[in-house]
Amino acid sequence: MKFLGLVLKSAKRSKRRTLLTVMSVAIAVFLFAALRAVLDGFNAGAEAASSTRVVTIRSTSLMFQMPISHLETIKNIPGVQDVTYASWFGGIYKDPKNFFGQFAVDPEGYLRMYPEILLTPVERKAFLDDRTGCIIGEGLARTYGFKVGDKITLQVGIPIYGQRDYDFTVRAIYRSGGAAVDNQSMMFHWKYADERSMLKGQIGWYVTQIANPDQAPQIMRAIDEKFANSPYETKTDTERAFQTSFVSMFGNLNLLLGSIALAVVITTLFVAANTMAMSVRERTTEIAVMRTLGFPSATIFLLVAGEGLLMATVGGILGIGVAYTIVNPRFLNAGGFIPEIGVNNTNVLVALALSVGIGVLAGLIPATMASRLKIVDALRRVA
Amino acid sequence: MALIELRDVTKAYKRDAIEIPVLDRVSITVPEGDFLGLMGPSGSGKSTLLNLLAGIDRPSRGAIRIGDTEISTLSERALAAWRSRHIGFIFQLYNLIPVLTAFENVELPLLLTNLSKKQRRDHVLTALGIVGLGDREKHYPRQLSGGQEQRVAIARAIVTDPTLLLADEPTGDLDAKSASEVLTLLQRLNGEYQKTIVMVTHDPHAAERAKRVLHLEKGTLVEAQQQVG
Repeated sequence: MKFLGLVLKSAKRSKRRTLLTVMSVAIAVFLFAALRAVLDGFNAGAEAASSTRVVTIRSTSLMFQMPISHLETIKNIPGVQDVTYASWFGGIYKDPKNFFGQFAVDPEGYLRMYPEILLTPVERKAFLDDRTGCIIGEGLARTYGFKVGDKITLQVGIPIYGQRDYDFTVRAIYRSGGAAVDNQSMMFHWKYADERSMLKGQIGWYVTQIANPDQAPQIMRAIDEKFANSPYETKTDTERAFQTSFVSMFGNLNLLLGSIALAVVITTLFVAANTMAMSVRERTTEIAVMRTLGFPSATIFLLVAGEGLLMATVGGILGIGVAYTIVNPRFLNAGGFIPEIGVNNTNVLVALALSVGIGVLAGLIPATMASRLKIVDALRRVA
Repeated sequence: MALIELRDVTKAYKRDAIEIPVLDRVSITVPEGDFLGLMGPSGSGKSTLLNLLAGIDRPSRGAIRIGDTEISTLSERALAAWRSRHIGFIFQLYNLIPVLTAFENVELPLLLTNLSKKQRRDHVLTALGIVGLGDREKHYPRQLSGGQEQRVAIARAIVTDPTLLLADEPTGDLDAKSASEVLTLLQRLNGEYQKTIVMVTHDPHAAERAKRVLHLEKGTLVEAQQQVG
């Protein structure tokens, strides 16, 4: 403890340099925590996916649609309990930057399939009874201030849905009862979109409820076999795989974000290590004097390494604090793709461990340099 | 009884493949309570001799005994511990830590002891009092004159009450008045506190303050003067 004062005094020697080092670690830790939060948010949906729901898309890509006639065929496959469908609408609310998920769904079937969409019976009826009605996730409602009864106009984003704007009435604000359903989306009647669509009777994906999760592989195979060699071949997968593939429309996010986080951390490590090494080089005489006074090599090592650790830890705590404040749905609009964005406790611990790791590694070489200093050579260099 | 005993101490440095001799079979005996001045031209080996006595350098051959300890055989770790207990070193350029106050600079060697905070404080204030800087404890080195800095450095050297004080050109960077004050202080430490001192100097006036002076030339002891003080 008595050496802590020395470490603090050394860190304050060049305030600007210390501040810059602390800030570089803080930014690295912030980016790491933020990127981890985004990845975790993406993966949360997949983690919470139901094992009794399977999703069927076009074998070519989720971007292509398939006929509504598939519905009856899937329903008749043994082991299938229920089937519903949805399409990605991709409309524009006032400005393209106001991005959120809009799904044209089979209202009754979809609400039956996803009990995680929490509505009161009154809200449910109001939505089902209004062909141009929509339901809005509470997170999305908070972001844009939507209230029940509000009129919402969406411009067409995907040309097959025609050219005229779509008007909706908010019939309910739904709450999410599980991570499989986010609270940042808008859902409305598929028929409303289909009426104006240039390609009638087209569906983005089917969701099938199966009775027994153990039968999932056979049922998925059976669905795809039904449409094999047709113009609309399908690819059926578990809900988890579907959630993942939905995200993968943006590329391999895990790899991309992971690589960015890693690059930032490694760069910061080099910056911090270089700063520490510079600081030790400047203090060669002082270290030699301390060694002359009888400070053992091990103590010198700990003093220098402790300084790196202190700066990195302070930077880490700062970075985590900023990430905690900024990375949440109030600040970040992820358009419904990240249902539960936020820095969780695991990420806090990992980020803190990371900053400690940066501190230890950055201090390792300078501390070794300092502890192995030859006293006579160091004193002679200055004298 | 002799406090310091050097027997046939030889020191040579290696520069690439060439061996440069600095000290050649030097033997010295220094009794306890002595104030020894070491003089000689640049490169004569006097600072090297001081470094060997301080245990911050090792002889190529020969033996160095200080008190009961044969220091030339100690490990690095043991040597560091020995230095902290037995050596007070005064540098030509004071070598105070600029980010520490006078108090903290003097306290530095005490951090290696088991003394409590209060005991450390008492020791530091005593040492600063001896060098006449009791009122400068909160000053940083940049706020002190050269003479005051050197006196803080002397306080740092004596705060652990070491067996031996080693001074490497302690007045080399000071004006005449400050140099005289520092030398008077060293004489006082030797006379009043019975500290054994070995001082390297170029300055004949400084050497006059020592009890006896030895001359080194090309690594060899060439002349020994009788006590002058």
